[in-house]
Amino acid sequence: MLLTRKAGSQAAPQRRLSRGLAGSMAKTIDRRAFLKRSGLTLGAGAVAAQLPFNMIERAEAANEKPAGKVEIKRTVCTHCSVGCAIDAVVQNGVWVRQEPVFDSPLNLGAHCAKGASIREHGITHDSHRLKEPMKLEGGKWKTISWDQAYSEISDKLLKIKKESGPDALFVVGSSKHNNEQSYLLCKWVRLWGTNNTDHQARICHSTTVAGIANTWGYGAMTNSYNDEQNSKCLLFFGSNAAEAHPVSMLHTLHAKENGCKVIVADPRFTRTAAKADKYVRARSGTDVAFLFGLLYHIFNNGWEDKEYIKARVYGMDKVREEVMAKYTPDKVQDVTGVPEQEMLEVAKTLAENRPGFIIWAMGQTQHTNGNAVVRASAVLMLALGNVGRPGGGTNIYRGHDNVQGATDIGPNPDSLPGYYGVAPGSFAHWARVWNVDLKWLQSQFAPGQMTKPGITVSRWIDAVLEKNENIDQDPNIRAVVYWGHAPNSQSRGLEMLEAMKKLDLMVVIDPYPSASAAMFAMARKDGAYLLPAATQLETSGSVTASNRSLQWREQVIEPVFNSRTDQMIMYQLAQKLGFADQLVGKKDGKQNIKLVKGKGGMEEPDIEDTLREINRGTWTIGYTGQSPERLQAHMRNMHVFDVKTLRAKGGKDAKTGYDLTGDYFGLPWPCYGTAAIKHPGSPNLYDTTKHVMDGGGNFRANFGVDKDGVNLLAEDGSHSKGAEITTGYPEFDHVLVKKLGWWDDLTEDEKKEAEGKNWKTDLSGGIQRVVMKHGCHPFGNAKARAVVWNFPDGVPLHREPLYSPRPDLIDKWPTHDDVKNLWRLPTLFKTVQQKNRDAGKQFPLILTSGRLVEYEGGGEETRSNPWLAELQQDNFVEINPKAAADRGIRDGEYVWVSTPTGAKLKVKAQVTERVGADTCFIPFHFSGWWQGQDMLPFYPDGAAPIVRGEAVNTATTYGYDRVTLMQETKTTLCQVAKA
Amino acid sequence: MARMKFLCDAERCIECNGCVTACKSEHEVPWGVNRRRVVTINDGVPGEKSISVACMHCSDAPCMAVCPVDCFYRTDDGVVLHDKDLCIGCGYCFYACPFGAPQFPQAGAFGLRGKMDKCTFCNGGPEKDRSAEEFQKYGRNRLAEGKLPACAEMCSTKALLGGDGDVIADIYRERVFKRGKGSEVWGWGTAYGPGKPAAAPSPAPKS
Amino acid sequence: MRRLVVCAAGLALAVGLVACGESEQVVVYKQGKYSGKPDGKPWDNEPLAGAKWTKGDKVSWEAEIKQRNQSQNEYKRIDQ
Repeated sequence: MLLTRKAGSQAAPQRRLSRGLAGSMAKTIDRRAFLKRSGLTLGAGAVAAQLPFNMIERAEAANEKPAGKVEIKRTVCTHCSVGCAIDAVVQNGVWVRQEPVFDSPLNLGAHCAKGASIREHGITHDSHRLKEPMKLEGGKWKTISWDQAYSEISDKLLKIKKESGPDALFVVGSSKHNNEQSYLLCKWVRLWGTNNTDHQARICHSTTVAGIANTWGYGAMTNSYNDEQNSKCLLFFGSNAAEAHPVSMLHTLHAKENGCKVIVADPRFTRTAAKADKYVRARSGTDVAFLFGLLYHIFNNGWEDKEYIKARVYGMDKVREEVMAKYTPDKVQDVTGVPEQEMLEVAKTLAENRPGFIIWAMGQTQHTNGNAVVRASAVLMLALGNVGRPGGGTNIYRGHDNVQGATDIGPNPDSLPGYYGVAPGSFAHWARVWNVDLKWLQSQFAPGQMTKPGITVSRWIDAVLEKNENIDQDPNIRAVVYWGHAPNSQSRGLEMLEAMKKLDLMVVIDPYPSASAAMFAMARKDGAYLLPAATQLETSGSVTASNRSLQWREQVIEPVFNSRTDQMIMYQLAQKLGFADQLVGKKDGKQNIKLVKGKGGMEEPDIEDTLREINRGTWTIGYTGQSPERLQAHMRNMHVFDVKTLRAKGGKDAKTGYDLTGDYFGLPWPCYGTAAIKHPGSPNLYDTTKHVMDGGGNFRANFGVDKDGVNLLAEDGSHSKGAEITTGYPEFDHVLVKKLGWWDDLTEDEKKEAEGKNWKTDLSGGIQRVVMKHGCHPFGNAKARAVVWNFPDGVPLHREPLYSPRPDLIDKWPTHDDVKNLWRLPTLFKTVQQKNRDAGKQFPLILTSGRLVEYEGGGEETRSNPWLAELQQDNFVEINPKAAADRGIRDGEYVWVSTPTGAKLKVKAQVTERVGADTCFIPFHFSGWWQGQDMLPFYPDGAAPIVRGEAVNTATTYGYDRVTLMQETKTTLCQVAKA
Repeated sequence: MARMKFLCDAERCIECNGCVTACKSEHEVPWGVNRRRVVTINDGVPGEKSISVACMHCSDAPCMAVCPVDCFYRTDDGVVLHDKDLCIGCGYCFYACPFGAPQFPQAGAFGLRGKMDKCTFCNGGPEKDRSAEEFQKYGRNRLAEGKLPACAEMCSTKALLGGDGDVIADIYRERVFKRGKGSEVWGWGTAYGPGKPAAAPSPAPKS
Repeated sequence: MRRLVVCAAGLALAVGLVACGESEQVVVYKQGKYSGKPDGKPWDNEPLAGAKWTKGDKVSWEAEIKQRNQSQNEYKRIDQ
């Protein structure tokens, strides 16, 4: 019997939801449907803990007056690098609703599942956050006071320092910190006296930063998400934006709707691929071969932009030789699996649709030759003449909301804020900015270690476990601070557990420290402390989106529970450790950063003052013009910024009278000079079609003026619009300014400061101001380098992954030789590859990993949010129907995924053609299961996330990039068997 | 006059579930109740398409026709709502609905629940507009605030449109014109009768 | 998932009957009269901060809603 509507006998037959679906159901299974079935038991448990309908607000506000003052606080989503603005509605101090910000030129009000549910952070009923400081004692998590925690932690740290020196500490910072906190932490670690600090960028885009900066100047996304609307072709290679950066797809799909071609090349048919005009499946770990395979067709057909290459690129002829010899279509097909015809078709689309972008994320970067992969991408775009113009370039999607900012000015082992390498001159520059005595600062470090890049987050476990004589520092690591980082996002989980067993002290500072806590408690009975940090919604500060725009977050609510802001914790720990005055730049009657009253009336460093200090020192990348006042004016006047160009056509800020005309939204760095000269920011890097004071530019002169007699500077006629020097020129210092007769353009005060300085160290900003007044670029005008001669593979080279299913290709394309000392540690390449040459016999499937839209990063935060957790309740492995059938595996069953490390993961099988028959995929956001065991007993009470699952990185294998020690997580081997 | 409708553009929907959690957050919908969800067909193979589905507020709503206690009503703007005080939780509407919209929270777990719950087009229900009672039973009343449904307003790619039928048809038609394909809108005929949003244009609003 | 299977089965049954040349066997329900509480009209509320309409004036409320509706149209924001 069929029910029908009453009215009109002409009523159409019912179109059941199933009609549209019925035909397809047989052959595919929706991930959501798949997991709905599997997650019912969990749901019941979680439901019982939840309040019924619409009760949360009432519970939150129970003790408040019913109709309190309603305030709107404008903040920015803390989940990814798109930078979606949010209007938080706060009543009686409780965050009751969130409204879309249609005016934002970045997201136009749009949100993905994570952004639309971010209000959950402020909900204290049934919260899964850490609520109090805790200590592991006798195998149990015990609540302690902040004072006790500080005393015990600092006593232990000082004891370790006394016994083993400052390098026995490793501090993992966070891409979740805002710019000011990242910067303070970078300083904090140096005041302690070590370079042993790092953050998520190491394992997400370190290869990009190194590879791309060495190609043309800055290692960042060249343009913006918005600029894709000005593009004719987008090649997604190593990015699944539809899940990882969903709101960026607003710009992508708008562009596509207006004729832009979208190509996705990936080992998986991703959700992004589903929206593309063309999808190509390539074998994981063959990226250079794929990119140079495209370049082969471009050279072969004469599609390269010869004029552009002649004027702006060094070394393309050498690349061409290698490409034509080594990456012929037959060889490329053998390596990547992509037939010649498909390669040609993609190359032709790129050539016929310019300008265009190549877009990547961790799909390119997380390989043992990641630095070469990203450079091959850059070379491909250079050959097409796509870089340094609107609508074209390398759109490198960063991951976390502030991973760009933390990379720029945060805790890095090899650089001080602004990529000033850990050289004596850099320390001198920053000591001056910090108002810290340089001699004192030097004395904090162990002898000889101050100018040696520190340990990386990908390898701290080796710095604990490695034999002491093999490490390039005196002590092994004895204490680790995890300050906003998930342990399950690093590879080699089994060995991390061993490293934890050997530590003297582990401190975890995080709103959701539970994955680290549970892992540690599984390994040990004592030795760890947990400190509840506030989220970014409970403090203010600036955040740098992937497109280099800075946005200012207002504090939405006070830190909940007994949590404190990160800047307060930094200051309070510094007080205990004896460098609190240095942290805020207090010396000789001067204090850079004032102390303001934070939670409970306690003092913390002022965030705005901290940004002002950043402004005073970060000349290299133009973090100097983004004063708090300018950023706040942008946030109040988002509607004046154009979506396609990000530029304000006009407008005055009603509150301050600041004239917004000509500014690009968020003053995307570089925003050179002081705020007073009103550089508008740079929406697209190296864009010669604009004057430098309109955000234009050219490639950076950072590698000398010639190489073996070949000119490295730009050729005659190639320069940014309006430059008074119409050919290539080196970077500016006081000598060059004088030679050009521009010295007297400086004011007397500027001259005093600029004497003997260059554009990076002149704290007056006079050199930058005068150079730009003459239309020139402070960092010079040079060619991009297709050959990066200072890297192991000057011309990017395909090298088989350490764990490859193809021994024959290991012989033809072997990996690097082992390296005795890389970032203070011995690093293996050939030894591991040879030892595992035939691993494919026992582990015949390629294992790769990636993101899901509902979760983010290590996932503890998002898996603690019931609105998200409900959508994805189990971890799973995607396996092709053929591979599944061969193993007798059915959809939805538990399976064991094992890898050559000996680890075994218990996950559900999702049988799908999304992956090819040779490949498996596991998302990386899960933790809380350990080789089949639920770790619930090891979590602090009430701080376990709702959804727990097997972490893929428990089973990932050894492998690091030859330049940056990026971990290899995108290509390893596995076997799958019925559980 | 305004006639409220939903439209999901399958060429744009990326199954990000922004609509789902926007709804959860705005109305504080408990675990297990899904006023809106995203359905994907051809998952993982070429032709994969996703659609966000909730109550479509049909012109001629089957739920209204089958309800034994007549708890449904249609507002002047075409929004289909119901009175939870009357609802007996029988489930007929669930079987009648072509979109699977009505939800039935497990009785017992939620005290007074067991009553049917569904998308209200962010228009609350038969309690005083914007009151605590309305919020508790039906969720927020955005229409009474001059706003539109949270799911559509926050959609990551603006695939889900919600609002006046003429306006969203115009928005959609402009896209179809630009991309030259995709005039079929899933569910539109079922919910609102003959007439396609892109093929049979209504006059553009002058604004 | 279970629901989809149920639906699909119903559909198959209906199609099967049609194929036999019989007319659709359906029960026609008559729409009843709403017997619940009366509900207010959106325009009978005071506009909140940021929104503009005259309390009680449907036309002005509709104008506000139509204006707001354009925020779902990125072409509008892009071309402004």
